[in-house]
Amino acid sequence: MRTTFWKTGALAVAAGLLLASAATAQKVSFKDPTGDDNGPGTYTYPTDAVYKRGSFDLTGFDVESKGGKTTFDVTLNSPLDDPWGMKVGFATQMIFIFIDTGAGGFTDTVPGLNVKFDEANAWDKLVILSPQPLGRVKDEVSSKAAADRQGAILIPSRTKGAGRTISGTVDLEGDPSQWGYQVVVQSNEGFPADNDLLTRKVNEYEGQHRFGGGTDTDCDPHAIDILAGSGTGDASEVQAQHDMLKYECNPDGSAKTGAVLKMVRKS
Amino acid sequence: MRFFRGFAIGLLAAAAALTPMAAFAADGQTMIITGEDYTKWLWGTQRTDGSLYNFTTVPGEGYGDNGQGTEINFLVASRPSKYIEVTARIQSRFSQNQWTNFGGFGGINPATTEPPPSSCTGGDCGEFDPRSNEYIKMRGLTARFTPGYKWVDSVTIGSTDLGMFDPFTIGKIRYIDRDNAKAVLFQGSVADRKLGYDLIRVSLPRLWAGPNFTTGDYTAADGAYGLQLKLAPAQMFDLVGIVERVRDIEVDSRDQDFDDGRDVRTRFENDVYGLKLGIHPSSMFDIRAAAYFSDAKSEAIAGAPANFFSISGFSPVPAGELDDESYKGNVDINDPFGIGLSFNVEYFNIGAQYVSMLAARREADVLLTEGRDGAFAFPGPDNSAFGVFPGNATRIGFGGWQGPAQQVATINVDNEFTDFDEPLAETVIGWKGITLAPTWTLGNLDLSGEYTKVDYNTNWQAWGDASLPVSSTIYPNMDSDAGFRSFRNAYAPFQDRETDIFVLRAKYLLDVGKGVDVFGKVKWIDETDDRMTDASFLPYQAGDCPGGGAGCANNQRFYSAGNSTSSIYNNPPVITGANGVVGYQWKPFDSLSDDDRDMSYQLIQLGAGYQLSDNLYSSLTFEVYDVDLQDGNTAFQAYQLHSMASGDHEKNKAILFARYTLGGAEFGFNYEYNWGTFDPDFGSGFVPTAATSQIAQDFGVPVGSLGFAGRFGGWNSLEERDFRQQRLKAFMKVRF
Repeated sequence: MRTTFWKTGALAVAAGLLLASAATAQKVSFKDPTGDDNGPGTYTYPTDAVYKRGSFDLTGFDVESKGGKTTFDVTLNSPLDDPWGMKVGFATQMIFIFIDTGAGGFTDTVPGLNVKFDEANAWDKLVILSPQPLGRVKDEVSSKAAADRQGAILIPSRTKGAGRTISGTVDLEGDPSQWGYQVVVQSNEGFPADNDLLTRKVNEYEGQHRFGGGTDTDCDPHAIDILAGSGTGDASEVQAQHDMLKYECNPDGSAKTGAVLKMVRKS
Repeated sequence: MRFFRGFAIGLLAAAAALTPMAAFAADGQTMIITGEDYTKWLWGTQRTDGSLYNFTTVPGEGYGDNGQGTEINFLVASRPSKYIEVTARIQSRFSQNQWTNFGGFGGINPATTEPPPSSCTGGDCGEFDPRSNEYIKMRGLTARFTPGYKWVDSVTIGSTDLGMFDPFTIGKIRYIDRDNAKAVLFQGSVADRKLGYDLIRVSLPRLWAGPNFTTGDYTAADGAYGLQLKLAPAQMFDLVGIVERVRDIEVDSRDQDFDDGRDVRTRFENDVYGLKLGIHPSSMFDIRAAAYFSDAKSEAIAGAPANFFSISGFSPVPAGELDDESYKGNVDINDPFGIGLSFNVEYFNIGAQYVSMLAARREADVLLTEGRDGAFAFPGPDNSAFGVFPGNATRIGFGGWQGPAQQVATINVDNEFTDFDEPLAETVIGWKGITLAPTWTLGNLDLSGEYTKVDYNTNWQAWGDASLPVSSTIYPNMDSDAGFRSFRNAYAPFQDRETDIFVLRAKYLLDVGKGVDVFGKVKWIDETDDRMTDASFLPYQAGDCPGGGAGCANNQRFYSAGNSTSSIYNNPPVITGANGVVGYQWKPFDSLSDDDRDMSYQLIQLGAGYQLSDNLYSSLTFEVYDVDLQDGNTAFQAYQLHSMASGDHEKNKAILFARYTLGGAEFGFNYEYNWGTFDPDFGSGFVPTAATSQIAQDFGVPVGSLGFAGRFGGWNSLEERDFRQQRLKAFMKVRF
């Protein structure tokens, strides 16, 4: 009798927790095609062996909101590793998650990405998933990001990599199914230029630690992979990405037309 | 040889063709200079202060666990034109630049001191030694050309860390030496970028890239040549082919006709061929395979050894002519059930005679397994603690290095000038086996593990050739195979070894405050090595040492014509022990079980970390090691060349870690407290003796304590010993 009691009780508690969890958690998921980790279609990886094939290839993006906190999971097309000893389960990647939570927002982004959003897709929150220590990322944001948007930039206390997924949780309330998203996959640069927020440059020719296929000036978008289309992973989203990241430079290296990003939404 | 001359001329011609581009130097170019102040504090209770690094085996270099030092690092970058980029690094290095040198004035001048000091350590030579006079040195200078030709993307001339190649062939140079390698590197692609290439000529490092850790007398023309072709015809498929040729040449002393220049001959040559295949059918499956073939040949000239004395050879490559293969295959299955559970499987087979002189020595981890831990690697770290010879006080397993080892496909392992908080590198030459490594993410809980089974291509008797004397071998038996085994030892005269590794890891983010990282690990290693398995290799005839106070007859047993293992496993003398008992000084090697090695290793780790503020993260880790090692008892005397001896080891390790960032500065703090017990178990069959005052002085043991002396005059204490060790490393990095 006693055994039955405990079994029944445990099952009830488990079921209750499951129901409670299901009742409060709100989750949305997106997919991105594989093999489009080439920015506007021409970008190539740096030549150092630490930049493994697929390690900047976005394949999945999940958002779950619960109890006033929102967790972001960004999945890539390669097992994560930590060749630089960052001690958080990944090292070479850097993820920028732009969120449109409502009206208004920013169209300019942060130094180093060289991308903008159009007015209809302005972002309100930016979550940065970096393997760098929290203090270093916050210092970079406070010294390099425009002052009016620093409050909109959220950095998880803990960012981790496990398997192929980079995750972080921030204090952010709301219904994630009603938000728009754009995920920019970049690379963690521990020695960034003054105008780069921990991002790795894209050059005309790939170098040991620089992406190639762009330009030696900053008229090209420094985005290796992004969400596109409806975020279903359909092959057509490759072209949608290339179209969004299309750019043109002036002879002096300045941007003639730059990359303009759109949000991807569930609804 | 003609090929290489032509190849070199081709490289030079191509480089010369690029020089007109300097005419396009742009006006208003900028030179960017950035710098870094790296200051390190070491403190430890070993009370050594030879240098500002915890460990080295390099003769004449110091090591220590105490001191403070600062180095400056200038990074210079400029772009004279759109075709050219120049980067440079100018740096002072710690070495023996202790703050207590007070700027380096004075000190012993080796040129005027009689007798000259055997080495300068701890800053003793002050301003007369570059290692202690705060000298500034050019660390790296690189010019990179991007001429815009179809056939070449970039030409790099100067310093490179070789990170664009492959750890089995031309591996990345370790971080602190990253600019030491100098090369000419062509990189480009053809066929609409579907076929990329890297073509390189590297000047061969004279410090270590040849037999006996040298490239001989004539070094300036030694080089390595590499070609890597990367084919990616489709998204699902890629192929990489690599060819590497290493040539260490000498002036041929047999050529006495100087009128037509001097002939050269090859001291060491090494060719490596590699093929890597990747198949990527979907994001769920990823398949990779790699195969390598190497051949190497050493000529016994200019210090290249023809062979080694069996248990004390040191060299980054076996002697003579060698060839072998290495294979690796990986299958990644990513979340096949949609529940966050993924699997990685790896097969590996690294040949016993696989040689790539420029394979990664440290800056790589070529296998999936986490292998062994650094906690028991080497005695200390302290190279003088073998206890083999008088004057080296025996020490029992201090802290070693933190964390698990990373594996490298060479015996030319580089753990020199490391501190205890850095990972240990270990050789996997000869390893063959399989690793299964699942990972499972369940919300805030990350689980991972591995099971690895290792067999060895180096399992052999009498070095694999019973027709040869066991005391003369082509294989360097660096630091011996005893104790927990040296990180760079792949070879032993007799081996029959197998290893099982089990690891379970867990990390959980506890939702308290800013989130508490809770982590832990359980690890088991079960390793057996029967070493000698054929009684015909026993050193003496049966009944040679009858016991009862009678001396051994020394009737050798020959395993082949004229060859006996008695040359290295000689019989003990008869002595009178501590209580007047007459018997053997060590147990005669008269049974195959006398040299068996059996290790049962367990590690339990538990820790927690917390982000105390935006700028400060700290963690506390506690580790318990319990190792039962039965190592050859007294016959093989394996213990004599290593301080982790046969017996029961209990080690506890508490680690306090902190990291603080402030603007462009980063501070790190790592404090470790080790304590534990060693209960020796050297078996029986010998007569313990009491330590004399001389033994006590030579080996740091109490007068009258029981032990026994080995073949080389070393002392093996039989007393249970407790140990305690504290050490601290703190650093500051300020970028400016």
